[in-house]
Formats: sequence, structure tokens, C-alpha cells
Amino acid sequence: MKMKRSLMLLLSLCFASSLALTGCGSDTNKTTEGSDSPKTDTKTDDPKSVEPLEMTLRHTQVGADKQKRFAILQDVVKKVEEENAGLKFKLDGVESDVNRKEKLRGEMAAGNPPDIFDLFGSPDSKVYAKEGKLLDLTPILDELGIKDKFSSLEPFTYEGKIYGLPIGGSGEGFFYNKEYFEKKGLKVPTTMAELDQILATIKSDGKVPMAGASKAGWVPLMLANQLWSRYAGSDVTSKFVKGEAKWSDPAVVKGFAKYKEWVDKGYFKKGELGFEYAEYTTQFTSGEAVLLYDGTWKSSVFKAGESGEKLIGKVGFFNLPPVDGGAGDQTSLMRDVNNGYGFSATVAEDPRKLAAVKSFIKDLFNEEMQIRGLVDDGVLPAMKIDASVLSSKITDDLMKEIVNVLNESKTSFPAFDSLVQADVTTEISNIQIQKLIGNQTTPEKMGEALQKVQEEANSASE
Amino acid sequence: MSRLIKKLLPHIVLMAYLLVILFPFLFVIFSSVKKDNNSIALNPFGIPKTFEFGNYVEAWVNAKISTYFFNSMYISILSAVVSILIASMFAFAITRMRHHKISAILGAVILVGMLIPNNALMLPIYLLVKKLGILNTHKALIIPYIANALPFSVIILSAFMKSLPSEIEEAAVMDGLNAQGIFARIIIPLTVPAMVTVFIVNFLGNWNEFLLANYFLSDDAKRTLPVGMVQFRDQYQMNYAQMSAGIVYSVVPVIVLYAILQEKIIEGVTAGSVKG
Amino acid sequence: MNKALKNPMLYIVLILPCLILFGMFFLYPIFSAIRYSFTSWNGVSATPKFIGLDNFTKALTEERFWLAARNNGFFILFSVGIQVPLIIFFSLLIANVKKLKGLYKTAVFLPSIMSTAVIGILWGFIYEPNIGLLNSILKVFGIEPLYWLADEKYAMISILLTNAWQWTGFYIVMVLAAILSIPRELDEAAAIDGASGMQRAFSITLPLIKPIISVVIMLSIAGAMKAADIVIVMTKGGPAGSTDVMATYMIKYAITNFKYGYGNAIAVLIFIFTLILTALYQLLVARRSERIEY
Repeated sequence: MKMKRSLMLLLSLCFASSLALTGCGSDTNKTTEGSDSPKTDTKTDDPKSVEPLEMTLRHTQVGADKQKRFAILQDVVKKVEEENAGLKFKLDGVESDVNRKEKLRGEMAAGNPPDIFDLFGSPDSKVYAKEGKLLDLTPILDELGIKDKFSSLEPFTYEGKIYGLPIGGSGEGFFYNKEYFEKKGLKVPTTMAELDQILATIKSDGKVPMAGASKAGWVPLMLANQLWSRYAGSDVTSKFVKGEAKWSDPAVVKGFAKYKEWVDKGYFKKGELGFEYAEYTTQFTSGEAVLLYDGTWKSSVFKAGESGEKLIGKVGFFNLPPVDGGAGDQTSLMRDVNNGYGFSATVAEDPRKLAAVKSFIKDLFNEEMQIRGLVDDGVLPAMKIDASVLSSKITDDLMKEIVNVLNESKTSFPAFDSLVQADVTTEISNIQIQKLIGNQTTPEKMGEALQKVQEEANSASE
Repeated sequence: MSRLIKKLLPHIVLMAYLLVILFPFLFVIFSSVKKDNNSIALNPFGIPKTFEFGNYVEAWVNAKISTYFFNSMYISILSAVVSILIASMFAFAITRMRHHKISAILGAVILVGMLIPNNALMLPIYLLVKKLGILNTHKALIIPYIANALPFSVIILSAFMKSLPSEIEEAAVMDGLNAQGIFARIIIPLTVPAMVTVFIVNFLGNWNEFLLANYFLSDDAKRTLPVGMVQFRDQYQMNYAQMSAGIVYSVVPVIVLYAILQEKIIEGVTAGSVKG
Repeated sequence: MNKALKNPMLYIVLILPCLILFGMFFLYPIFSAIRYSFTSWNGVSATPKFIGLDNFTKALTEERFWLAARNNGFFILFSVGIQVPLIIFFSLLIANVKKLKGLYKTAVFLPSIMSTAVIGILWGFIYEPNIGLLNSILKVFGIEPLYWLADEKYAMISILLTNAWQWTGFYIVMVLAAILSIPRELDEAAAIDGASGMQRAFSITLPLIKPIISVVIMLSIAGAMKAADIVIVMTKGGPAGSTDVMATYMIKYAITNFKYGYGNAIAVLIFIFTLILTALYQLLVARRSERIEY
């Protein structure tokens, strides 16, 4: 009994102290929604239009690493609110994958997506567009005259109409620890043999050569995708759907085999199948892993106040080197413009909402914001921007290096998941790549298994 | 000597079991006041040498535990209470009122409800909640939670009410009580022990519920604790010390509640299981 | 006599709220699932296409679906084969100690009051390969770190252990209650006749608590078939799908791929399987008197 009473006392103390803390912490995390009221006096001739209008905006800028991007969005929101009397945005931040795969799909089925939302181009926007859930942006783009300003709107185009706008682009390559490279006298590899040599050197030094976090299949697939595209040609993935190439083709399998070889040699962080993507970055920023294969968006981490602060000026970027006997352009790089914003078809019913959407597009998709995205956050522009303007704006060494790498690559290709059917994506990212890493399959068997799913998907869509 | 061993042995085994049960809690509490991952790794079990309460301040600010906690609390309690009310009305009707044939059918239908995998039926429920126009309000959780708890509540409460002798209401009728009176004044008070059990089970079910809460609410200020915690983990998972502090926050209030109510809770589960 | 208890109006008023909610949240969803399970609905379209039994034949011939179903089987086997004996063992122990009974009763229940999501996080921390509790213990004994959640060999058992940790105490309290309600005279009489503690447990206590064990087993089966949360928070079904259960299979292969028709077919299959299993258990294992009735 005595024991119980003392336990109770301890617990109530804990509880009391947590209550005391409420006071200090409760008002620190306010979002923009409540902070400033829109200015109603900017351009209102008709007092009736001051009637409040609320619109929801679903974004995916949550978490410490996305604060810069969130700040950009907040500025745009503020501006749009000023331009549209009475308008107030309700910002709804949801983690990207949850939004894409759960929330937005449920809302689409129920017919109540937010007015503005984070949207993936292919295949998502096409499915929604086909069902008439998305606002056709073609007339707005014509009116604003920015239709030709985008480097590619293909992922968001369905039957000749545009249903979404990419917010930025990205490329993928190796981030490397410059300090370590210098200390060990290593140089950026120009051939696969050199890269293999570097990996072996790091391994024998007792360090982790490459970060690894494969709980989500898309993470290891960034590198694997690049590898099979080197061996079998950068356009090979687009041929799978048309039946012009097979996952089981020897050249594709060679890409898997190379990945497996690196796994077998212990070049990736051990236990990678249990780690989440956030830990991928940590392995590199902590200095544990020397190389990190990731998207260019990762460059924003190496800025003051971010988690990779310690490594500012010590991080470089290079493209996967050419492979012997590879097919096609060996400088080719994966580049994506698949993520951006879409708008609910219901917006068209309300002229005030439509006007707000127009302002939102005007204020977010312009040269200034694209450059700000690049400079602040390392997101490559999705719009065409003059090379001289671009180079004059970039002061960050890492960003310069990234832009150089991108300029040196002659061609680019989209990520596999925007090219193949969802079933194939599920099979490779949830099953096959993890099996390969976990030594439960061989590169050959992996190719065959994928080809089987691919053929089923191909015949189903005919 | 052998008597002593005989007496001690069960305690030794049980203490070992308690250690397994409670050690994870201790581990988290210790980790929560350590400086960083490194100091956790160097000294995983030991009592920390220095106490870093900064983790708690940061976790509180970042995780907004207070909001989530009170949301969870009121949603769980309200739903559990309403389900018990509705379920006991139903249980009374099918066990004590004289419509035996239809009652047997209704009882069987509800029993099958126990087997319906309603977390696998999220989409139809989502569409329904949408049609009711309550999406992204707390009602979107409260109403499904009330409904979800019904089959279990009805089964336990009916079993309990059935076991009450029928002389009770015969006497009551003699005294001039009508059916409502029998229900409210006689059956309900007698069923309280079973109701406590049902309340606990329903409350825990609601308190734990993750899928609907994750799916049906999008306002951060409306979220419940399980969703808030997972979100917190996704954002701060590389910082184990701070994560531990977050876990402590989410667990301590429940433990306090449990410490206060534990006699009642155990009594409730006890009453229900003997009858059920 | 007892006219009051025949009042049909009152009967309707009393059953209606329950029936309405039950209809809305159980019958409507399952019928809607049955309806869409015969279509190739993408979850967005207003006009789903009827495709007969294709979804069902696809699921039943799909190797991965059966792997997921097998994992549900592991849940059942683990809870019935390992948890239930442990539950009985610990309940008997606690029932028979004189001191500290209250402490044991209170402490074993503790894990059951925590949210599954929080438990997933807590145990993710315990299984963490570098600084987690389990590997730190192994290190003391000089054993190399194991990758609990990342290795196919251990991932499923890790989830099952966590699940057992969460629920064993809850059932112990239920069984304990049944044991303590057995009249003392029975036990004492047997003791006077010279029966040992072991004999008394097997010949007196166990037969008397069979009904409650039946309840525990039924709840375990129903819970195992519906399991999803714990898998999602711990492994998301990975690595390589090795810990997928039917519900997570449905989310991955149907919901995320715009195949709601297929997903609904899986939901219907989960329902049918649960129905068959519980019916079989009731008919074959539980004796008439132990069957659960409303």
C-alpha cells in the first residue's frame, strides 16, 4: 500500500509539472491562419464583396526540414489574401505521403477535396482529371500568359488540358562529404570503377560508404532507378509500359545486380530496411555515412539553422558516373517535375474562389518565387529561367555545383513511378527492392517477377 | 526451508514478469532526460548522470500534447457514455421485454456485428460521414465511435441483464411501476458493475483509435493523441531523447488516471467477465 | 400480467437508436463493400463497372494475399497457443499469492491502457538496432546487434511480441476475476482431500474458468483478423511485405492503387474468414454450454 501511495505522489508531481508547462508552450505554434486579418480596403468598390470567404489549402510543408518552403507558401498566401477582399485561407498541413495516398484519395472519392491542394502529376492527376474532379487551368494559364513558361507540363496534362502546375523540379545524384574526401585524397569519380574503388576505401576505413534507409521502397529506388537506366538506357522505363522492353532484359537486371553487389559488400548502412527516410539524412549529416544518394531538394538541409548546418561548405554533389557497356547517354539524370498544386473542380462554381485561384497561380508561379525556391530551399525551378539570371542569383556553393551537374547532363528522364502503372510501382517498392536488399531474391528473379506484374498491368489497361 | 521457497517462487516469477512489463516504461523515462542519442547509447539502462529537462520543454512546444490529450479525453469519454446508454436501452428491450422472437433475431444480428472488420470498411464510412456533413469535426469521430462500441456493449450488458431474476420486475409491476420505471429505477442500478466494464473497454478502444482519427480530421487543433504522437514521431524521430519525452507526456496522464481509477477499473473488468 | 413489459411502442423507442447506428456503421458499410466488390471501381468514378467475381478470383489466386492471410494466422496461433497458456499461468499464480496481489493486478494491466500508436513508437525504440533496449541487452552478453524490424526473420515475431505485451495483462485481469469468483469451499474441500496445488488447478479451477477462456479466445480471433494498427505503426507491412496482414494488404494493393473494387473484395473476404473461423471454433471446440450468446 505504501508503495502505491508514493507512486501516486510521483505521478501526480509529473502531471502537475506538465500542467505548469502548458502555460509556457501553448501559444508558440500558431499558424498563419489566425495571425493577421486580411486587409479589406485594398480594392473594394462593392462593400458586399467583403463578405468573408474561406478557402482551404492543403500543403505538405510539415516538419523542420520544410520550414523554408512553408515560409514561401505563407508569403504567397498573405499576398493572395490581400488581393482578394474578405478571403481567408485555412492552411492544412499533412505529411506528403499521407496526403497523396490516403487523405486526398478519400476526399476525391467523397467529392470534397480542399480548394487548393498538393498534387502529384502522374498518374494521380490523370485519374482525377478523368473523373472531372480537377479544375481545368488552361484558360487561366492563357489569360496570365504563362503557359509556355513551364519547362514541362506533361505530367499534369490530360487530353490536351492542363490540370495542375509543378511547383519545382528536382534531380537526383550523390551528395558527398568533401572534408572526408579531401582527408583521404579521394576525387569525384568519373567512371564506375573509380566509384567502386572509393566505396571500398571508405568501407575499409570503417565508415559507412552510403547512407541507407529503405523502410519506404522509394528511397533505395532512387539509386536503383538510376543504375538500371545507365545499363539499359535512360528511356528504358518508358518502354516497359509499351511492351518494347522488359524488366527481365539482361541490361536492366545488370542494374539490379550492381545494386545487390553494393548491398552484399556492405556499402550501405546496416539494417537499412528498418530506417525511415528522416534517418537517411541524419546518417549523412552526422558524418557516419560519406555518400548520400538523394534528390537535389536535400541541399536545403545544408543551410544555417537547418539540421546539416555543421556541413555547410563541406558537401559536394556528383552524378552517377558512366558504366562500362551502358546503353544510351551516360550523363543522363533523373529529373522530375511531378509535384505541384491542383485545384478542385468545384472552385469554378464560385467566381470569387476562381479569382482567388487566379491570384494564387499568379503569385506562386512566377520567376521571383521560383528563384526564391531555388535560393532558399534548393528546389530547382519548374519554369524556364534565363541561365544568366539564374547564375547571378545563386551564391551557395553546393547549389552552384548542383546546377553545374545538371547542365553537364545532356538528357534527363522521369522517375519510374510516373511512367509505370501503380501496380508495378507497388510491386517494386514494397516488395522487390526490399527483397533484393534483404537477400531474399536474385536480380534475375526480381526482373522476372516485375515483368510478370508489368504484363498483367499492360493487358489490363488495354 | 522448502515452504519458504514454495512461498517465494510465485513472487519471483511474477516479479520477473512485472520487470518485462514495466522496463520499457523506465527505459523511456531515463532516455527522456538524457542529452542526446549518444548519451543514450553510452548508458542505455542506467539512471542518467545529468538531467536534461529541455527535452520536455521542446517536446511540449513541438508536440502540442495538451491539445491532443484533451481532445482524446473528451471524445473518448463522451462516446463511451453514449454507447452505454444506447446499448443498455437495447439490451433491456431484448432481454426483459416480452417480444422474444424478434429479440432473438436482433440479438443474433448484433452478434454478427462483432465480426465485421469495420476498420477495413473505412471508405464507405468515410463517404457516410461526408454525407452527414460532419467531416473534420469531432462528431466525425464521436458518432462512429459510439456505433463501433455497440455490439460489444450490447453483448455484455444483455448477458448481465439476462442473469437477473425475473421476480424483480414482477414485484416492481405490482408496485405499479411501468416499463420505463423498471428500466431506469431497477435494471440500470443493478447493471452498474457491468456498465463500468463496458465503459472501460469502450474508453480504451476510443482512446487507442488511430485509423479513423487519422483519416477524418485534418485540422491540427482537432487531432487526437494517437495521431498527434505518430506525427510527432515522423517529424522528430532522429532525436530519441526528445521523442521519449513526448512518449512520457502521452503516457503519464493516462497512468495517473489509471492510478486514480484502478480499483474501479479492475472491479469493472472483473464484474463483466464473470457474467460475460 | 406484465402488460407494461409488452408495450410495443416503448420497445421500438428503446431499440431504435441502436438499430439506426448499427445499420449506418455496420450494415451499410458491409453491404456497400459487397456491392463494390463486384466492380472495378477506382474510388473516384461515379459509375463503377460490374466485373462479377473477378476481384475475388484475383485475391484468392494471389500469392501475396495468402501470405498476408498467413500472418493473420500467426496472430491467432500466437495468441491462442502462447498467450492463452501464459494468461492462465499468471492468473493462477496471482490468484494464489497472498501478498502484493493488488500490485500485480494493477501493474499487469498497465500496457493495455496505452494507445497502439504510442506502443508502436515505444517498441520501435526498444527494437532500434543501434541504441535500442533489446540490442543493448544483447550487447551485454556479447551478441551482435539484431535488426528486429528490418530482418524478415524477426520482423513478424517482433510485432507479435509487442502485441502480446500490450494485451496479455488485459486478459489476465479478466481470467483472474473468474478464478477469484470460484467459491473458496470447493478449493478448500479438495485441499483437505489431499489434492496438491497443481491438481487443484487442473481439476477444479480450469474446468470452472473454461467459459471465460472461451471468451478470451474468441476476442483474440476477432482481434487477430482485424489487426492493422500495430503493423502499420511498427513496420508498415515491411520488409518486403513480410509482415503484411490482410488489412494492410488491402491498403497497399487496393487503396493506394486506385482499386477500391478490389479493396472492398478483400474487406468482404476478411469478414467471411472471420465468420467461418468463429463459427468453426464455436461448433468444434467450445462445448454447447460455453458458447457465447448474447
